[in-house]
Amino acid sequence: MRRHVSLLAQYFIQYSKVRLAYRGDFIISVVTTIGATLFGIAVVWLIFKGAPRVAGWTFYEIVFLYGFSLLPMSVFNMLSINLYYFSEIYIVEGKFDRVLLRPVNSLFQILFEQFRLEALGDTVLGLFLIVTCARRIGLELGAGDWLFIAAATVCGCLIYLAIFLLLTCISFWMEDRVGVIPPVYNMLTFGRYPMDIYNPFIKFLLSWVVPFGFATYYPTAAVLKQDEFRIYAWLMPVVTVVFGALSLFVWKRGVRNYSSTGS
Amino acid sequence: MPGIVEVEDLVKEFRAFERREGLLGALADLFSRQYRTVRAVDRISFEIRPGEMVGYIGPNGAGKSTTIKMLTGILVASGGTIRANGYIPWKERTKYASTIGVVFGQRTQLWWDIAVVESFQLLRKIYNVSESDYKTRMKRFDEILELGRYLHTPVRKLSLGERMRCDVAAALLHSPPLVFLDEPTIGLDIVAKEHIRQFLKDVNHHSGTTILLTTHDLSDIEELCPRLMIIDHGRLLFDGGLKELKRLFWRDSALKVDLKDREEADRLGALELDGVEKQRLDDMSYRLRFPRDQWTAAGVIRRVVNAAEVRDIVIEEQSIEEVVKRIYLGEMFQESRP
Repeated sequence: MRRHVSLLAQYFIQYSKVRLAYRGDFIISVVTTIGATLFGIAVVWLIFKGAPRVAGWTFYEIVFLYGFSLLPMSVFNMLSINLYYFSEIYIVEGKFDRVLLRPVNSLFQILFEQFRLEALGDTVLGLFLIVTCARRIGLELGAGDWLFIAAATVCGCLIYLAIFLLLTCISFWMEDRVGVIPPVYNMLTFGRYPMDIYNPFIKFLLSWVVPFGFATYYPTAAVLKQDEFRIYAWLMPVVTVVFGALSLFVWKRGVRNYSSTGS
Repeated sequence: MPGIVEVEDLVKEFRAFERREGLLGALADLFSRQYRTVRAVDRISFEIRPGEMVGYIGPNGAGKSTTIKMLTGILVASGGTIRANGYIPWKERTKYASTIGVVFGQRTQLWWDIAVVESFQLLRKIYNVSESDYKTRMKRFDEILELGRYLHTPVRKLSLGERMRCDVAAALLHSPPLVFLDEPTIGLDIVAKEHIRQFLKDVNHHSGTTILLTTHDLSDIEELCPRLMIIDHGRLLFDGGLKELKRLFWRDSALKVDLKDREEADRLGALELDGVEKQRLDDMSYRLRFPRDQWTAAGVIRRVVNAAEVRDIVIEEQSIEEVVKRIYLGEMFQESRP
């Protein structure tokens, strides 16, 4: 465990060196990420400004949810870059060979060999929105609330990782470049809005099949609406563990099925 | 002494997906797929003892890389067993990985965008090598491989020869007792090849490192490996020493005979020599190829000298390449499977 923590630091330092080697690229990427986030807020503003209440949620509650959703999302984005390109870089090009030759857990290497540090801009923005909206709503966020928000961020991020890890594993069995990741990635944004606006089927889907609701909507509702959603707050770690264990299991099976490239 | 590597009845099968041709074929593939099972490695058994240097050769697609990938824990075998350094490679992968070194000539193990020395430092931490061990080893590596000059260059800017030297050094940084090299000299110039060979010899000699390498360059084998294994179509065709290989497969020898003049050459041409294949090279010379179980060189020479006036005779040594080429072509392993 300690060795892995120190290795994580090493990987991070290594990554930073690479990024700094391409300074221009890094600066552009920071700027565009911040731009994209500001644009996202503008969209929320435009859509919800006119309607005073959406599915029982006020404007500031919706922006609060939006800000909350940025937390697990940004941490996930920081770590997931290699999952996103896994099929192309690791399977098709055969780079996974190298991963398997190192005396370090293979998933650890995939997750931490690269980061997308600029995604953390969204973390800051999310915190800002949460604090601002809480004040407008008249909600006092105590230490307990913040602790819950931190836990929800970790769980949410793990849920995202688990889902995308499961999708990534498909490429262990199917050589073709599978196009299933981008559409599901787009589904992440579904969690930014109150789930009652969706039809029951999608709501069910987002709760129990692709449980993005547990990463964003349910924990937010638990903070804002309290009692009604307390049960979901308790279910959050359960969902996280179930999907996390499932994805690890499938990953292990996938690695055993890895067939490498020709030479 | 037990083997450091023990392989028994190793099998690897791949299920290959057969793509149909054209756009319509691709569409058809979407709905029904045709699979074909390919046996890349077919019941191979061998044992390697600590400190051995073994060459593993075979034509392209013979199953060399697949074997290496199972030996290194990348691929899971479809059948049979491997025990190396006391581990089953694919079962106890991370533990096993810290006890072996691996070089794939076709693909670098180093980080592409950062200076070589940074990669080394990271590997040092991954493999838990102490700072003092690291220093001593780097110094020794530098003496033979001359890494110093490009240690601070990013890997992507290195030439193939430079990169390979770094890759080999990187694989040995943690001083593993067992090293696998898949075509470590591919595409290298003579100087770089020499460096790598020298280095491997040195490591084998000083640290008793066991080395298994694949190559297409048989001079690698001649210089490094007292033992070689030949694989084709997934099966082990030969396992033994170079000398043994020659003894088993070197069926005939050749003499190049220069004659005094054209007439003398014609006279040799007319000479009755049972079983000897005569090939006229030019006006005044012949190559005579004779089966070694029927003739000795001395016997042929005696007959030739008696029949015609000879200026010069050269005994042509059959190169290991020639022998191996004929094995690959399937000409000579019917009865001599070891």
